[in-house]
Formats: sequence, structure tokens, C-alpha cells
Amino acid sequence: MKLVEIQNVSKSFVNHCALNDVSIDINEGTVFGLLGPNGAGKTTLIRILNQITLPDKGQILFQGHPLSRSDIEKVGYLPEERGLYKKMTVGEQAVYLAQLKGLSRAEAIQRLNYWFHKFEIEKWWNKKTEELSKGMQQKVQFIVTLIHRPAFLILDEPFSGFDPINANLLKTEILELKKQGATIIISTHNMASVEEICDEIALINKSKKILNGPLAQIKQQFKQNLFQMKISGVQDGFRDSLPAQFELVAEAKQGDVMDMTVKLNDGATANDLLSAVLPMANVQSFNEILPSMNDIFIQAVEQA
Amino acid sequence: MNKTLLIIAREYLTRVKKKSFIILTLLGPLLMAALIIVPVYVATKSERDAKILVVDDNDYYINRFTDTEHLHFSYQSGDIEELKMKCVNSEYDAVLHILGGTQSTKLNLYYGEEPPMSLRENIESQMNKLVFDKTVKDSLHVDPKKFDEIKEYSRVSIVTLQLDENGEEKESFADMNRMIGLVCGFLIYMFIFMFSSQVLRGVLEEKTNRIVEVLISSVKPFQLLMGKIVGVALVGLTQFVLWVMLTFVIVGGVQLAAPNFFGASAPSIEATAPASASQMQEMAGAPAVAEPSLFQQLFDFYPFSFVQLIICFLFYFLFGYLIYASLFAAVGSAVDNETDSNQFTLPITIPLLLTIMLIVPIAESPNGSLSWWLSMIPLTSPVAMLIRLPSGVPFTDLLLSMVLLVAFFLFSVWFAAKVYRVGILMYGKKITYRDLLKWLKY
Repeated sequence: MKLVEIQNVSKSFVNHCALNDVSIDINEGTVFGLLGPNGAGKTTLIRILNQITLPDKGQILFQGHPLSRSDIEKVGYLPEERGLYKKMTVGEQAVYLAQLKGLSRAEAIQRLNYWFHKFEIEKWWNKKTEELSKGMQQKVQFIVTLIHRPAFLILDEPFSGFDPINANLLKTEILELKKQGATIIISTHNMASVEEICDEIALINKSKKILNGPLAQIKQQFKQNLFQMKISGVQDGFRDSLPAQFELVAEAKQGDVMDMTVKLNDGATANDLLSAVLPMANVQSFNEILPSMNDIFIQAVEQA
Repeated sequence: MNKTLLIIAREYLTRVKKKSFIILTLLGPLLMAALIIVPVYVATKSERDAKILVVDDNDYYINRFTDTEHLHFSYQSGDIEELKMKCVNSEYDAVLHILGGTQSTKLNLYYGEEPPMSLRENIESQMNKLVFDKTVKDSLHVDPKKFDEIKEYSRVSIVTLQLDENGEEKESFADMNRMIGLVCGFLIYMFIFMFSSQVLRGVLEEKTNRIVEVLISSVKPFQLLMGKIVGVALVGLTQFVLWVMLTFVIVGGVQLAAPNFFGASAPSIEATAPASASQMQEMAGAPAVAEPSLFQQLFDFYPFSFVQLIICFLFYFLFGYLIYASLFAAVGSAVDNETDSNQFTLPITIPLLLTIMLIVPIAESPNGSLSWWLSMIPLTSPVAMLIRLPSGVPFTDLLLSMVLLVAFFLFSVWFAAKVYRVGILMYGKKITYRDLLKWLKY
């Protein structure tokens, strides 16, 4: 089921067009990666989803109806450039921000206690924010983002500034929220984390959507029929006796073991490759090389 | 709970809890009370008894000084070197030596401990009169008493009587009015500036902190803007009310502790506003039975109702502040740091600064055309009108000025909201006036 439907959204500012006829559907219960180079229009799209700015054209449907002010409490937003009031205490500040999202004071305190305990930052409650390290502040900001249990979470570069341990904690938490039924948009340049947690992605470049769909499907779309093979006991003349449809892209020899990358051309299948190799060598390992998100990103942006 | 109320509460509480606010709130009244009490105290302090020994080389002025309530004169002839020691061993508070010679009169006043201020003044004026009388007698051969009579005859006194629309006489106390007008005008200027700058800094803080993006994903920019402006306004009102109350408590406490304290101060009031004080007594038709205290003087004899003045003060403070605060907020949202804000705040504050520089001319002629125009233009009227008010302003003028002020307030809030909405999300760009105009069209 679709939670958010972005329909033909365009937005331009005085000197440039930030979004040009962008349509994206975001399914309920998915972790959605919103990708794109700097200045592609991601932040504008995120601001439109948060109703900070309005689109010039097109509309956003949220749970089937046009997005309105009353939906704001169902959305949690962690901006890329985030800050807190320096002079306020952490607890007071968290309560205030939770109240702005519609929680009562008592409820806010109760839920914050749970999260502060979970993230092991209870002792920071009465500290001023300026005394906290950046990572600590990020934790507080993350808690504040999800404190009102939004159905829809928008996280802009959530991992920046976290050490690997805390980044992991965050990933676990995001997947946990997904399990509980939340839909999460993540905008990031960290492609490794996209592969780890995203179910679907959309790639925006120069104000246009150039790629959209489930991650696995996109990987299939971008695969180049590359296979990695480790073989031993290779006979002389192996290279020459390999049929032409199998292109040897790379090879490395370590003792008796040869590690090679083969590209399949002319509709050849993995089985064809195996049956060609088997008479000439012992196969030790064999696997398909799927393109990384990083490669796909670069390829898609460069092609566009 | 309404979100705007939440914002107001935060803006208010974080500021009121600040140490600087508490210190300023306590220090203000102390300073103000000190301004009232110290001069009176100094004046009272000097009113202690003093014994003065007069030594005249020519023996002319023997027995000619008049004792006052506090000053007692004695006379002795002899060697001054010996007699002047009498003020050291505390037999006398001071020794006045009138040097011999015919041309001019020279006086030496010896003392051991610093004598009261009034002592010197008193001796000086008595001596002046004595020398004058002597000269009148010796050179003009006129009886000094006769001379005084002539002087008394030829004295001119002006009583100012203001007529209202019906030709009825209103008591007028030009000097007092001017003073109160100046104080009110200056107070309003200070308050408007102080708290508008706080709004600017608040907006800038949220922008540079980048917390603003989180905030406006929860509330509308307009709610945030108004919450801040109203919150700071309440801080200002709190501070004002506390200042007035604490000042009264401190001054009242002193008065209670020493009931005669301010009664004794009557001469010092007369000294600052001699014309009005004597007029007051003349107008009252009868000599004042008891010397009125400073407060009684303010409340009982004041032509322009105090309640009216306070209502107008609050009105002009509030709307003047609202205009400046919203314009300052717009500036704060448009720039990236406080240094950049100056180029935009300066043009807005120039009218206010100009009014403060013209404060004396306005007070001198509160109904002149300069005063009239300045009290109509919304950016200057909060200060200018407050200076004019105590001298009496036609109701139509007041109404027009107020309507203009409210109208401009609506415009400035509209303007601020437009600029603020765009400005708070704009980073790293030097903003020009052209940009601001473009934002209005968004």
C-alpha cells in the first residue's frame, strides 16, 4: 500500500528549477532511499514533504488524501543541518520539541525517559546542550524526531557525525521502527548504508527523477553479467580454448589458483560458462557480481 | 496546548530565568531609587547644625550675619593664626576670616572636617548681600532697605495658564511636563531598542543553530515569529512592571523608615524647578500647610492624568516595540550573523535615533510642527508622542497617531512574515534589498 504519492511535483526558485515533474511512490513499511548528487533537489523535495515549502505544481498524497497541516504530527523529520538550543537543558528542550509535535507534557516526559534510558543518556537530562558532544546531540535529535511515533519518518543524512558503534545503533533502531510499521525515507550519500537498510530507492539528478524502484530490481537492471570464478589445475591453453562469448575481464594468479572475472556476452548464461570451464579446470568458487549502489549511482548520474 | 502558546512560554521562561535578566531587574530599581534618594539624602545630610566663628579684620561685619536654623554665627577679634585653630579642636565647625582692605572683599573659610554643602552657599549669599548693602549705602547713599523695596516692586512674575477648547483655564506646569515627557520618551526608546534587539538575536540564534528547520516542520513560520515577538514583549512588560513596583517599594520603604525624609527635600525640588514649585503654591490659592512629598506633588498637581499617561505609555511601547521587533525579526531571518544585520537595522533605527537626538527641541515646543510630524510618523511617534503627551495633546492628534501606528504595525508584521518565511531557510548568501523585495512576492 502506498503511504506517500508524490505526483508530478515541480518547484522552481528565482534563478533555478529545483524539481521538475517528479513522481515517486513510497510504499508503507519500507525504508526508502532518496539519493542524488549535491544540489539535485533532494532537500527541496524533503521540505515539500514536511510542508515547509509548497510545490509550484503537482501534489502530494498522504495516506490517500492531499497532504495537509493535520498530517504534520504523523511526520518526523531529522534535517541534515540540525541544531538545538545551546543554552537550554537537554531534557527541557526535548520536552519542548515533543510538545510542539502535539504530545502532552506528561506523555513527552514519560516517552523521553524510555528513550534516554535506551540510548544511555539519562545523565544528560539536566545538562546544557552546549556541553554535549556532537554525537550526543545527534542522539537527542534522533529521539526527538521519533518521539511522537510518526508513521512517516524523514531522515536527512542520519549517519553523518556518528561513530561506527552509534551508527550501528541507529541502523538497528531504524530497522526496528520499520518492523513496527513505520515508513522511513533516508536521504544519504552513504551508499553502503543504503545497501544495508533500504528496500527501495529513487535517484534524483538535476531536478529530475532518473531512477526509481526496489533496490534488488535496480541491481538486476544495472548488472553487467559479470561472474567471479576461482579455479585451479588450469591446463595450458585455457585462455585460448575459452569460447568468444566469455570475455576475460580480469585475472590474477596465486600459486595454482586463478581468480578471474568473466563477462558473459551474446546471451550466454552462467550454466554455459560453467560447462565451458569444467572440462579444463577445477571450480573452487563461482558467483555473480552485482553492481554496488555506488557504481549504480555514478553510472546513472553520468549517463543522465 | 496551543503551539503558539508553547513558543511564547519558552521564549518568556528562558529569558526570565536568565541571570542577566534577574540582575538587571534588581539593579534597575536600585539605580532609579538611588537617583531619587541620593540627592535628597545628600541635601538632608548637609542640614546639620554648624557653628561658625567670624573674624573680621575691619570689625565691620561683626553681628551682621543672620543665624539660620542650622547655622550659628559667633564673633571674635584677634590674631587669625590663633583663632583659626578653633575649628581644628572642634570648638567651631568653621572659621570665617574676612580679610582687611578696602577695594574688594576676600574671605577665607577654615574648617577641620568637611562642612555641609549649604554652609558655603549660605555664607556666600549672606556676604554678597552684606557687601551689596554696604556699597549701596556708601556709594549711592541710599538706605539699603529702600533699595530692597524698589527691587521688590519691580519684580515681574509670569504665571502660565493654558486654555482648553472651552476656554477654561488649565493649570500648566511646563517644566515638570517637560521633564516627565523626556523621561517617558527616553524610557520608551530604551525599551523598544533593548527588546527588539533581543528578538533579532533570538531569530538569529535559531537560524545559525539550524534548529529552525526542526521547528518549522512542527509549526508554521508565522507562529514561530509571533511566539517569539509576544514572548519577548511579555519579558519587557514583566521587567517594566517589576522596575516600577520595586522602585516604589524601595523609595516607599525609605519614606516609611524616615517619614520626614522627603519633606525635607522640598527645597531641592524647588531648586530643580523653581518656577513650577512656587507657581503651584500660588495657584493653590493658599500657602501650603505642610510641605507635600515628592510623590504627592507628582500625583496631586499633575494636569495630565497619570492613568492616561501610563495607558498611552503602554500603548506606544507595545506597538512601537511590535513594529521594531517584527522588522528586526525580518532582518534577523535574512542575514547569517549579527555583524551583517547592522546594514539592515541601521535604516530602520535612524528615525528612532533622530527622534532621540531631537528630544530637546520636541520637549521645548511640544506643539510645533516638528513635534507634530514626528508624533505622527509610526517609526518615530512612540518616542515623540510620549514627549508631547504630558503637555497635552489634542484628542484628534492622539487618535490619528495611534491609528497610523496600528496600521503600520499591521504592515510591518505582514512584511516580516513574508521575509522571515524565506529568510530563515536561506544560508550562505549575502542578502540585498532587491532580494528582500523578491521574497515579498513568494
